[in-house]
Amino acid sequence: MTIVKLTTTDGQPVEYRDEIIGQGGMKDVYFSPDRSYVVAFFRDQLDFQGKERLKSIVGAYRDGIYSQKGGDYWRDLFCWPTGIVEKDGRFGVVAPVYRPHFFFSHGSVSNDMLGIKGKEKEGKWFASASNRAKFLASEEKGTWLSHLQICLMISRAVRRLHAAGLAHSDLSYKNVLVDPSTGKACIIDIDGLVVPGKFPPDVVGTPDFIAPEVIATQHLSKTDPSRKLPSALTDRHALAVLIYMYLFYRHPLRGGKVHDPDATKDEELSMGAKALFVEHPTDASNRVRPDHLGKFQLPWGDPARIPYTIAGPLLAELFRKAFVDGLHSPQDRPTPSEWENALVRTMDLIQPCSAKCEMGWYVFDNTTAPRCPCCGTPYQGALPVLNLYSSRHAGAYQADNHRVMVWDGQSLFPWHVNRKVFPNEHLTPDQRKRVGYFQRHQGEWFLVNEGMPQMHDVIAKLDVPVGGNVKLTDGAQVLLSREDGGRLIHVQLVNG
Amino acid sequence: MRRLPVYLVLDVSGSMHGEKIEAVRNGMQMLVSTLRTDPYALETAYLSVIVFDDTARQVVPLTELMAFQPPHVEAGSTTSLGDALRVTKECIEREVRKTTTDSKGDWKPLVFLMTDGQPTDDWQKGLTEFRKIKPGMVIACAAGHDVDTSILKQITEVVVSLDTADSSTISAFFKWVSASISTSSKKIDLAKSESTQISELPPPPPQITLV
Repeated sequence: MTIVKLTTTDGQPVEYRDEIIGQGGMKDVYFSPDRSYVVAFFRDQLDFQGKERLKSIVGAYRDGIYSQKGGDYWRDLFCWPTGIVEKDGRFGVVAPVYRPHFFFSHGSVSNDMLGIKGKEKEGKWFASASNRAKFLASEEKGTWLSHLQICLMISRAVRRLHAAGLAHSDLSYKNVLVDPSTGKACIIDIDGLVVPGKFPPDVVGTPDFIAPEVIATQHLSKTDPSRKLPSALTDRHALAVLIYMYLFYRHPLRGGKVHDPDATKDEELSMGAKALFVEHPTDASNRVRPDHLGKFQLPWGDPARIPYTIAGPLLAELFRKAFVDGLHSPQDRPTPSEWENALVRTMDLIQPCSAKCEMGWYVFDNTTAPRCPCCGTPYQGALPVLNLYSSRHAGAYQADNHRVMVWDGQSLFPWHVNRKVFPNEHLTPDQRKRVGYFQRHQGEWFLVNEGMPQMHDVIAKLDVPVGGNVKLTDGAQVLLSREDGGRLIHVQLVNG
Repeated sequence: MRRLPVYLVLDVSGSMHGEKIEAVRNGMQMLVSTLRTDPYALETAYLSVIVFDDTARQVVPLTELMAFQPPHVEAGSTTSLGDALRVTKECIEREVRKTTTDSKGDWKPLVFLMTDGQPTDDWQKGLTEFRKIKPGMVIACAAGHDVDTSILKQITEVVVSLDTADSSTISAFFKWVSASISTSSKKIDLAKSESTQISELPPPPPQITLV
């Protein structure tokens, strides 16, 4: 096999084996001899703007994200090109290879009957109720918790792009790799990023994820002022669709309503001008018709059986903002940072399913008799619910609108101990370590202190030293830290 | 969910005997195993096979990917292209679900037509019948030099040719067909707009020439 040797525009040596290993929509991809990176050549000529765009993505924008404090955090969340090469007039980019967990290790059921072992974990496999139910090996499917983690990773990555003044413009399950078995996600195909006002988009996006206003105006000329093109606001729509699909395995706009006898026109209307949330609270005209679903699409394919509200109050509010208020009103769509916040807090609201069903975890709904929405198993026993308060002024504690539903083995982290700590790329290594955990012992619940030197039982007026523990009873109050922003937890015992 | 119906319309006339018919059999096998690794195709694509020699007949009705078994095809006698068009039209009318006011139907079907010789029947009569339906895209493949591509051009704008009809080119054609179905089912699952232009298909490999 011939090895081709090149030098990137900034003088780095690059080698690749002269054999195409993959073809994307725009590029042909080659492996380096040691398979540690790939070289991807654009099939079509790049115009001046295209070259300038590549230069700034590989140069200034990359440096802006990676060279800042905490920059290394992004290596796992983006597959960001590191260099530009040119050969025989064709341009290409050098990019890291995908991490091994983004390739199927088991693949499909029945000893991988489909032969997908070793192939990329394209998001579509996991965002479809029937593909999950019919084909994927159980080792590949992850749990609902790992899907929350995937959504968090994607939200965080998009938040970072937007903060840098970039728009992805083509977010879809095609260019976000996901691994439900570890809860990881990575944004790929970075070379098409849009810099508003400087580099316009060259694709309208991947359908299923294109914002309604973009579809509704796609017949207009590119220069028509009414024409809507991909931007950070359309990224917000795509992000909401991705999150909805990864949590419910169905599309938020694909319901039963027929707009036109012609399939193409019907599609354009139902994704564009006439787009309507299948779970719209008052307009029921686009509800999913359960009689149109196959048995493998159930229960997830039917929103009447698993409504979006199972994701808990924080996420439900954002889905309403995205698909009711903001569907045709881009400014009203939730930002990536709102999703990030809601996802982090929702992870404190979940409980393991006692039947260990496929979903595995669910948001505990303490307004009615709680049960797993997937398999129906009721929650049993007493569940401590912690309401979090934090100090604003000396001695005054205010509710943080943050609750923690306790489960056996759950950990407390520094972001639970202090309001001012938020789990993101800025955490120091120390802040990533747990500082306590919860344990059920003979029907009683305990909080074990592993790293909170100021922990204090307020009712008993006793300090709880590191290594000690406190029993969680109804009405108990435990101070976790005396520092500014330090948390006080108020315990409620709920009987399942 | 809308299905994407795919019709393979294959010439099994006497001239296909031997290596060529063997390549067609292998091609169908490869096509289905490739599509089974595509999560979009698995959800949407349905396959049917129609063969023609002195008559045309549907040997596999429209079938979902996981249940599809490549048929055993044998090379026969003449080349009834017109009859093939008529049978294809009838199958599409019968099998492809139409949209009603109450229920979404299927996507417009994709038709791949492969032939290696001159039609021996009244192909124009079959074409008149075929024109009564509106498939999404019809791709005609002239396998080898014995085909009059001007006839195929009257059936569809999208005509490709294989310089030599042997196992490697026929295999390349089926590979391209599977890439085209993946693209269209992606597009459809994604864009839900049918491909009607060659520019929406993946670039054909070097053995395949656009006519």
